[in-house]
Amino acid sequence: MLVWSRSGRALVWALFALVFAPLVLAPLAILGIAAFAGDWNSVLPASWTSENIREATAGTNYDSLVVSIETALGASLIAIVVGTWAAIAARGAPRFVRRLTDAVFHLPVAVPSVVVGLGMLVAFSDGPILLNGTKWIVIAAHAVLVVTFAYSTVSAGLDRTDAAFAEVAASLGASPARVLLRVRLPMLLPSITAAASLAIALSMGEVGATIMVYPAEWRTLPVSIFTLTDRGKVLLGSAVTVVLLVATLVVLMVVGLLKGRVEERRRRR
Amino acid sequence: MTATLTEPPIATKPTSAPVRERRGRGGATRALWVLPPLVLAAGFFLYPLALVVKQSFVDKNENVGLDVWRDVLNSPSFGDALWNTVKIAVLSTLGCLVVGFFLALVLSFVPFPGSRAVSRIVDTVLAFPSFLIALAFTFLYGTAGVVNAAADKLGLGEPLVGFLYSPWCVVLAEITFYTPFVMRPLLAAFALVPRERLDVAASLGAGPLRVIRQVLLPEAWPALAAGGSLTLLLTLNEFGIVLFIGAKDVTTLPMLVHAKGAVTFDYPGACVVAVVEVALSLTLYTVYRFVFSRTGAGRAGLVA
Amino acid sequence: MTAPAIERTASAVASAAPTESAIGIQDLTVRYGSVTALEGLTLEVARGETVALLGPSGSGKSTALKAVAGFLRPAEGRITLAGRDVTYEPPNKRGIGVVVQNYALFPHMRVADNVAFGLRARRVPRAEVGRRVTEALDMVGMAGYARRYPRELSGGQQQRVAIARALAIRPPVLLLDEPLSALDATLRADLLGELQRLRGELPDVAIMYVTHDQTEALALADRIAVMRDARLVDLDATDRLYRRPPSEFTASFLGAANLLDARVLADCTAGDDAVRVAVGGLTVAADPTGAFAEGTRALLVARPHTLGVAEVDRADTLPARLVATQWRGADYRLTCVLEGDVEREIRIDVTDLAAVPALGERLGVALPAEPCVLVPAGAGG
Repeated sequence: MLVWSRSGRALVWALFALVFAPLVLAPLAILGIAAFAGDWNSVLPASWTSENIREATAGTNYDSLVVSIETALGASLIAIVVGTWAAIAARGAPRFVRRLTDAVFHLPVAVPSVVVGLGMLVAFSDGPILLNGTKWIVIAAHAVLVVTFAYSTVSAGLDRTDAAFAEVAASLGASPARVLLRVRLPMLLPSITAAASLAIALSMGEVGATIMVYPAEWRTLPVSIFTLTDRGKVLLGSAVTVVLLVATLVVLMVVGLLKGRVEERRRRR
Repeated sequence: MTATLTEPPIATKPTSAPVRERRGRGGATRALWVLPPLVLAAGFFLYPLALVVKQSFVDKNENVGLDVWRDVLNSPSFGDALWNTVKIAVLSTLGCLVVGFFLALVLSFVPFPGSRAVSRIVDTVLAFPSFLIALAFTFLYGTAGVVNAAADKLGLGEPLVGFLYSPWCVVLAEITFYTPFVMRPLLAAFALVPRERLDVAASLGAGPLRVIRQVLLPEAWPALAAGGSLTLLLTLNEFGIVLFIGAKDVTTLPMLVHAKGAVTFDYPGACVVAVVEVALSLTLYTVYRFVFSRTGAGRAGLVA
Repeated sequence: MTAPAIERTASAVASAAPTESAIGIQDLTVRYGSVTALEGLTLEVARGETVALLGPSGSGKSTALKAVAGFLRPAEGRITLAGRDVTYEPPNKRGIGVVVQNYALFPHMRVADNVAFGLRARRVPRAEVGRRVTEALDMVGMAGYARRYPRELSGGQQQRVAIARALAIRPPVLLLDEPLSALDATLRADLLGELQRLRGELPDVAIMYVTHDQTEALALADRIAVMRDARLVDLDATDRLYRRPPSEFTASFLGAANLLDARVLADCTAGDDAVRVAVGGLTVAADPTGAFAEGTRALLVARPHTLGVAEVDRADTLPARLVATQWRGADYRLTCVLEGDVEREIRIDVTDLAAVPALGERLGVALPAEPCVLVPAGAGG
């Protein structure tokens, strides 16, 4: 519809491939190759091995994987609860309260992750709430970083759902709590699961704030990967990265399955 | 979404619900419901930020003043980092805009078998951690990397000596990672352009370049502005890519915060850099929000 | 307006020598993957002629237009414009004016810039652009709106601008793809009148008009091509096609005719008058559109306004039962079910309800005095 001749289209597609392949495909492919490379000094690895993958799922790397998953789930859960609560409550609040909530919950996207980490260090190293040195400082930092995505995804979902449903339910005599639990939250389920997936994916890959605040016994996978590559163990680092990606996909799939189960149950009711 | 909308969402037993009239209570009660999340946000985000600002005026010996600021701002490493940060962010954003516009244009208007799969890949990259790209680049563009090895085999020598540790490599990595952030809103905007408009423009005698310039670009401006300012914001704050490439000469403001805060434990110095960095990105963020609120494009397409 | 149109038909058809062909379509086939959207269409449109492609949705009429415009690449066949083969030429080299259903105006350009778009693409000198924009807007009565943006115009006004934009490049061929479908009934009637006037002002332009609305086709076209299931069903001069539809499908689609089951009582060919056919218990005269053998099953074409209502037991009527009455302002449309082996529903338009019985009652359906057209049963359907 834009380029009419066959030769013109072929030229455009060739250019597309020329940009897309090295820019997007090559980096993704190369990590997969590196994860299974035994010895790599030329164009392609000289030998292949699954040793790196085995090492990436054992010992300290396994511990880091568990830490990463726990951190992602914990931080995402907090972020979803707080973000959803804020988004729904802001709807009913007076205009200026709503705008204030909007501003506060959108702000973390504008603050570099290292600064969020630094703030955590400055605020929670002493005083009434002492988090530094515990896993909670990592989880708190992650929650702050992803809450903005939870808030804006749920807000966008609220924009799309029709307020009339809740009003009809209320006019039928349902209490606000019942309207919330039986009408508004179920209708927001797709947005909430989308927000959860995004939050988990971001948290699993977070490195900036984590590297500022992590205590020795709560090292997430990205930090482990950095430590490995910093020491020159790039092939093992690639293997751990592949494990991180696979783990993220698995967690996201589980979230998707849970969502399907909830919807299924509701349909049967 | 549609699945939830089509089933009756009010299939509960309305008669058993106690009839309570809460409408009259007004905004005060409803405003109270916002308090818990706001208090949490204040405690874990605003309060630490405020402390960062406060700390930047207190030196290691607990003296209040502008000494730390003077020291940091006068140090050459700060000037380099500031210049590097801005330079890398601006170049990366420009690159993302050009590449993203081209890729989105082809995916939308010159589709090919498999273009949907390509869109999927682009969506997936959005959820990946950025350091992954940097790690891949060390294999691709390192001195012993694939590109050099391939060029050597072809008798071209080793063209990429030192490229990995140059700012250009960081720029290329950030273009790779952030191009999808420009493409998402663009693809959404292009999806709204009726195909007939392009057909009719062509029938009136306009070639592809004229159609792009006069028919598509005006439609794409809001998405380009929103995607571009978000990318600029994110590249200013990018940390993972720079950290993983690990070039000694390429220090950015977030790297400086990390070095001062987590390596040498110079909290006041780290706080000064942090305040500058936050001021920089907040200014940009305000511009972004302004553009976004004017156009309505962008954010919803990026996040949802 | 219909009377002069018919006169012009005669002259246009007479002058349709090969050199005068503005659009030539030969054996055109268009496929989307495994779906054939258009199959073997052959059609000529002469200079100054209006041909309507009429058919239900999915009949391939829009596909044909898009192929002529160059928006689609045909799988087979040839398209010529004034004798020049353009089958694989891009649309921007064809010089055709195209108007589509949703106007497709450029929303960020003022009306004047929309109209000037094609001229600027052709690098027409600046001074002339202004003159021709004014001229084109004058033609559609939109001269006062040059500084407006499309969103500030009504649907009808937007479509006028779209027409002006297509005309500004002075195309020898104008393609209109359902141009009135997005408008409400009143605007549609207004703009239809406007199109008739424009037709008169553009004596040399060949127009291909795609529509599913027979009123538009009847009002504008010199010839009508009836399409169905990706194929051309019938093609003829407008009045001839209306009066003597050669197929069951055309008869019912163009003018919503009733089709009555009939049995041919004697061998006949097209043009024979007063062929005897049996309809229900009656024997009536019919006007055959083709050759029929004695004993063949065929269909008698009777337009709703040519049928009448009489007492139920009158000898020259078909017995039926009234199932619905609809007041349509100028007349009443009655829906009846014929009694007989096959219960066929027929529609009758009457201006007076005095002779009409109550709903559910029986009545007699009187056939017109003139012989009805006889078409083959099942052809095209």
